[in-house]
Amino acid sequence: MSGAEHDFGAFVAARATTLLRVAYLACGDQAEAEDLLQTALERTYRNWDRVRHDTPEPYVRRVIINTAISRARRRAILNIVPVRVPPERPARSTDVDLRHVLMDALRGLPPRQRAVIVLRYWEDLSEAQTAEVLGCTIGTVKSQASKAMAKLRTALGETSLEGVIGNAHA
Amino acid sequence: MPTLEDRIRQIMADETARLVPAPDLAERVVRSTRRKRRRGRIAAVAASLAVLATGPLYLTVAPGAMSTPDVSETPVASETPAPPAIDDTPSMPSEPPSFGDLGDGREFGRVKVGYLPEGLQWSNWSVNYGDRYTTSWNFDGDKNGFYCVQIYVHEGDAVLEVDNSVQVYRDEGEGESVTIGDRTGYLVVAGVGEDGGKGTPTLILDMGDQRRAQIMFSPTYVKEFADDAAVNRELRKIAEGLTAVD
Repeated sequence: MSGAEHDFGAFVAARATTLLRVAYLACGDQAEAEDLLQTALERTYRNWDRVRHDTPEPYVRRVIINTAISRARRRAILNIVPVRVPPERPARSTDVDLRHVLMDALRGLPPRQRAVIVLRYWEDLSEAQTAEVLGCTIGTVKSQASKAMAKLRTALGETSLEGVIGNAHA
Repeated sequence: MPTLEDRIRQIMADETARLVPAPDLAERVVRSTRRKRRRGRIAAVAASLAVLATGPLYLTVAPGAMSTPDVSETPVASETPAPPAIDDTPSMPSEPPSFGDLGDGREFGRVKVGYLPEGLQWSNWSVNYGDRYTTSWNFDGDKNGFYCVQIYVHEGDAVLEVDNSVQVYRDEGEGESVTIGDRTGYLVVAGVGEDGGKGTPTLILDMGDQRRAQIMFSPTYVKEFADDAAVNRELRKIAEGLTAVD
């Protein structure tokens, strides 16, 4: 095994779970998330000489997010709606309801707004870092995040959301 | 009372808690990349079959398990492969070898840069692996800052990596062949080009049988120019001025 393969294997072993979760949140479908991750890693591996000495994870994350957005837009053109995959482990019905409501609401967001939510509130990236990943300005990130949160509030309804959470934790 | 943002974080964590990647993911990626690189070559078929015949292996197998140069090579795995490490903090890579102080950075390795866009200075950063080396230029000379222009040179057997990449671009219909004086090159927007990210405009210059140079503009630096044509003009001018010193 070459040094590059060894380094790449170690990187994937260490970070694949986190990256798969980002991919899932970005696209909303487990099978597509797995394909998205492999596609992103293939692209990363092709450029490994260049990215290995920096921190590769932001590069992979960027490929994942932008590919997810690109695919979502193509899908929108083709009018194909992603299919929700039910969780494999049993969960309380209130948990499941809340998660499904939120995940459906997330899926309903335009792809770039969904990406902003994932990067800001899942990856905990700053507005500047999010702008860097998406190749846009900080102002765009702010406006996209604001619109997305407004839509989530509208879709979920703060009152009903709090009610479901209250029941779930009761 | 948690905020909506906190609730979203928690629900996203719950929703993704069950997700675990395939244990042989890295191996599949390497294998797939090789297949694309070796497309059309008889040797690729034999190498791929050898890999497939071994079946999936955990990522922690002994060195050599992911290598496929020889169809007779049998990957060596420990008797009880440990499960893959999940989300451990990756170890920091050691500092790569560099050229040290290059002055204005116009001459590095065995090439000399005759032209750079105005306002750029050497970034005080370089990597030198002998048959492949690179350096970059930016506005402030900060080695930890963003690059504006980067040149990556491959020599000897290492040119195959570049040629294979060009072949993949050709196969995928990305980029175009260009002529730079009496030399040839390939102009492509590499890296992340989807959606808002404009990708990395790259001119891959053929500097002879044993040398290729990749001249890259960072997606951030691209925004300094009026349009793609202006970027490509600058890439061509850098390529024209790039010469060998050996």
